[in-house]
Amino acid sequence: MQGPYLGYRLILAVFLSVALIVIDVRYTQLDPIKRGISTALTPFQWMSDVPSQFVSGLGFLFTSRTEMEDELESLRSKVLVLERKSQKLATTTAELNRLRELLNASRVLDDGVVITELVSVSPDPSRHYITVNKGLADKVYVGQAVLDEYGLMGQVIEVSEFQSRVLLISDDRHAVPVQVNRNGVRAVAYGLGNLSEMQLANVPDTADIQVGDLLVSSGLGGRFPPGYPVATVTDVEYDPGESFTKVRVEPQANLNRSRLLLLVFPNNDDASTEEGAEQ
Amino acid sequence: MIYQPSIFAIVLTFVVSLLFELIHLPQMLSLYRPEWLVLTVFFWTLRAPTHVGIAVGFFVGLLLDVLSGVYFGINALALSIVSYLAVGMHKRFKLYPLLQQSFVAFAIVLVHLLIVNTFTSLLSRGEDASTLFMRAVLSAFVWPILVVVYDRISMALRG
Repeated sequence: MQGPYLGYRLILAVFLSVALIVIDVRYTQLDPIKRGISTALTPFQWMSDVPSQFVSGLGFLFTSRTEMEDELESLRSKVLVLERKSQKLATTTAELNRLRELLNASRVLDDGVVITELVSVSPDPSRHYITVNKGLADKVYVGQAVLDEYGLMGQVIEVSEFQSRVLLISDDRHAVPVQVNRNGVRAVAYGLGNLSEMQLANVPDTADIQVGDLLVSSGLGGRFPPGYPVATVTDVEYDPGESFTKVRVEPQANLNRSRLLLLVFPNNDDASTEEGAEQ
Repeated sequence: MIYQPSIFAIVLTFVVSLLFELIHLPQMLSLYRPEWLVLTVFFWTLRAPTHVGIAVGFFVGLLLDVLSGVYFGINALALSIVSYLAVGMHKRFKLYPLLQQSFVAFAIVLVHLLIVNTFTSLLSRGEDASTLFMRAVLSAFVWPILVVVYDRISMALRG
């Protein structure tokens, strides 16, 4: 049996894994290996999603005809409203672009998006990431912004061949530069590990931020495209004893409900340069 | 167990436990997911120490690292140590009654979780001690069922 070598094997394994941890914390050389493993695990993730899809499929099977008709009706009216809005949007976007061209601004609005579907959520509820079904094959890159129909969801942190992992803005390792839509006050919204609450970092006491303000991504930092809704302010707590005001905000996106998401491809062709910077 | 378990049975149980590791649980339960892969490595190091040992523990740990999105190598380290402990006790363990086996499984899972949590809390952010404890308790509850099912599988597939 393995008897006398057992201790040596353990020492070897411990040494190897500590080396891996250090390399992974410090450098990016291990990323191809991790990517390979997660590509190999893709079928398992698909399979693990089957039971919950089956359950929701059963729910679909048993919805009554009237319920479905109601839903269809409400969706139709929603489409009408959105159509009208988007008609106006097209003209305003065109006009805005014309004005920007007049100002010689380089950035042109309207980014490209690709629709993606959520495949699985993090098995560990204290880590807020999700897996979506688009990967390297669809030119997804690390750092790409992900939206749902209400606002910013997060950013891509890992890409494998057919899937990628998205870190949600509510994870406590995540922060996103924002600005108040009303007056352009800049701040950084960081996650607290809570799906329904985030906080603004280092807001001076004099900053003009009110409950109900909409925060949009500011585009500073170069990671997220500017102008997408991120959160609304729910609570401003001013304490004279503290050097900063505590501002709590609620994410706009349905972080725990949305199934169809949008991957944003910025229009001005800096996708490739950003990928290069990540490496 | 006198028979030699087939490699196929070992692979099959690992695949099943990998699925259980990923499957969606209700929100309330998902915090206390039993550590299927740890238990499976533990089981096979006890039953078949010639096939499954530190090396398998190490590689399964790497899989677990990618799955759970922690730094590469943390679970590998913990599972190597777990399988080392398991190989050391595999002769005695057969004599324990099932209840006592569950206690040992509890301790083993707790050791694994504590090692993982030590590293994740050093490098990013750890979890509550109570969560880890509950997860180990649930793993201990699962252990007798897992033993029975896995033994059935390996009996059915023995070469």
